[in-house]
Amino acid sequence: MGFVWHVALRYFRSTRADAHIRVLSSLTAGGLAVGAAALVLALAALSGFQNHLLADLSRHTPALQLELAGSGAGAAGDADAEEESAALAAWAGATNGVSAVQELLYARGWLAVGASVEQVEVLGFEKAPPVWIPVGDRTARGLIVPMAVAQKLGLAVGETVRVFSPRPGLTPLGPRPRTRTLPVAGIYRSDRADYEELPVLLPLEEAAALFAGGDRRLDLALEPDAEPEQVAGFLRETVDPADATVIGWREANRALLFVLRLEKSLVFSAVVLIVAVAAFALLASLSLVLSSKRSEVGALAAMGAPPARLHRIFLALGALLSVGGAGLGGALGAGVAAFLDRFRVISLPPDVYIVEYVPFLVRGSDVLIVVASTVVFTGAASLLSARKASRLDPVEAMRSART
Amino acid sequence: MISVAGVTKAYRDGAVRRQVLRGVDLELGPGGTVAIVGPSGSGKSTLLNILGALDTADAGTVRIDGVDVSASRPVALAGFRNRSLGFVFQFHQLLPDFTAIENVIMPGRIAGRSANSLRGEGMDLLAQVGLADRAADFPQQLSGGERQRVAICRALVLEPPVLLADEPTGNLDAASGEQVLELLDGLRRRRGTTMVLVTHNPEVARRCGSVLRLDGGRLTPA
Repeated sequence: MGFVWHVALRYFRSTRADAHIRVLSSLTAGGLAVGAAALVLALAALSGFQNHLLADLSRHTPALQLELAGSGAGAAGDADAEEESAALAAWAGATNGVSAVQELLYARGWLAVGASVEQVEVLGFEKAPPVWIPVGDRTARGLIVPMAVAQKLGLAVGETVRVFSPRPGLTPLGPRPRTRTLPVAGIYRSDRADYEELPVLLPLEEAAALFAGGDRRLDLALEPDAEPEQVAGFLRETVDPADATVIGWREANRALLFVLRLEKSLVFSAVVLIVAVAAFALLASLSLVLSSKRSEVGALAAMGAPPARLHRIFLALGALLSVGGAGLGGALGAGVAAFLDRFRVISLPPDVYIVEYVPFLVRGSDVLIVVASTVVFTGAASLLSARKASRLDPVEAMRSART
Repeated sequence: MISVAGVTKAYRDGAVRRQVLRGVDLELGPGGTVAIVGPSGSGKSTLLNILGALDTADAGTVRIDGVDVSASRPVALAGFRNRSLGFVFQFHQLLPDFTAIENVIMPGRIAGRSANSLRGEGMDLLAQVGLADRAADFPQQLSGGERQRVAICRALVLEPPVLLADEPTGNLDAASGEQVLELLDGLRRRRGTTMVLVTHNPEVARRCGSVLRLDGGRLTPA
């Protein structure tokens, strides 16, 4: 063992012998352990929630979207828009890594039953309802209404409803609202939160006829082994931005992902204060050790120990005092998180949250961040004492033992 | 080996400036020994600290073993102290967290040598001062005299060309003091070690090649 670690280990051992230093260094190690455990637990809980949320999000969001430019131009351009979207759909479908393409049309309209009218978002779909909308019977062709709308209008499957479009149609008698009476083919309930407006689903041809000029979009499903960013990159390079905009899964949810990252950063910043406080305790411990070892450090300097090595002795001592606490805390946090997740100890009301329990996910990167932040704080605390040790005047220091 | 010319040193004690050394000159060749005597507070330890590169002179030059101590940087001086100087402090300054043998070999550990490679030399020295069986004891388990003997072994372990000792036998009984003096004599004969000893003990002074008195800030033949 080298000189630096040899001395640091002896000084570490001596912290056990002195009652004052022992209490303070135990508090330091305990504080670091609590801080590290709290950090690991907090990050694991956030990662667990975010993991569930992102998994849910990915189920409800297509891997890639092509938003067609020029859609919404009006009835005059609708035939052109249909042709363009069909051509783009064929081209996108032939792209490497793309397994399926579905054309969608978004618009706003009204449903009317008797005197009851409800404004709704309408989604025209090609072939079958999009997979990210939880429709029970995916073969149903016709109007598929979300439960909330069905309840407001008192609708049941098989009943008819009038659908109004805000775009008027031209008739010999002048412009008249476009409307169609359609039977309700299905009612769906979403497991997503109530705050989100769910669309009324219509087959694409019906939607196109009613909502000429609505926003058109192509949803792309990818092969299981396809890399979304790679496919998106290829599409972006190839497609004319005047024709369509390529939007990836992450881009489509950019705001939410930003909020999730921000949330994690803020929680980390708040909890890391515990480690910072423990680092202050470490500074106090090391100052006390240095004070009690002042004359010995002076003797070491007199025997020729250069300032840099005295500096390193106190850095090593800081590491010895902090690593045990941080390691114990990290392991404790990870263990408790794994236990809470495995046995689903903390339950949640399922009608409020997307999961029935508080999930915990311990990520290696999170643990690394905890360890790194602990090292930074304790290192900074140790540096102060180490610098003081390296600047001791040997004669003055040795004299202090006699006074 | 040791060349001191015109060294002055003053301390400020509150508003009072205390001139401790007033132009000290000293020449000592290889293997030479000098005892410095004088009343308490005359500046003997200060002079020893300056010779040992632990303190700096206000003026004058100090050359030891070819090194201009007064003009060297602190990092270079640390290496110089480790390689060229052996210290015996007035108060033994043993490290209480280390055993006697660990204290003895500490200068070697600072020099970067392994404990195993130093152990033999350290044990030889402890045996010469009658402490071989106390090697594993900590300083607090040793008497004052034993501690001082361990401190002397520590100063000699790297066989430095220059030994600076502040009251090396001050805490020892007559027999232990004799053992230490024999050890120092043997080292000087065998290795030609140059020694500067600060002492109040006439027997120690008598064994040195010359005796100088520090009084009023000046060194004069005693």
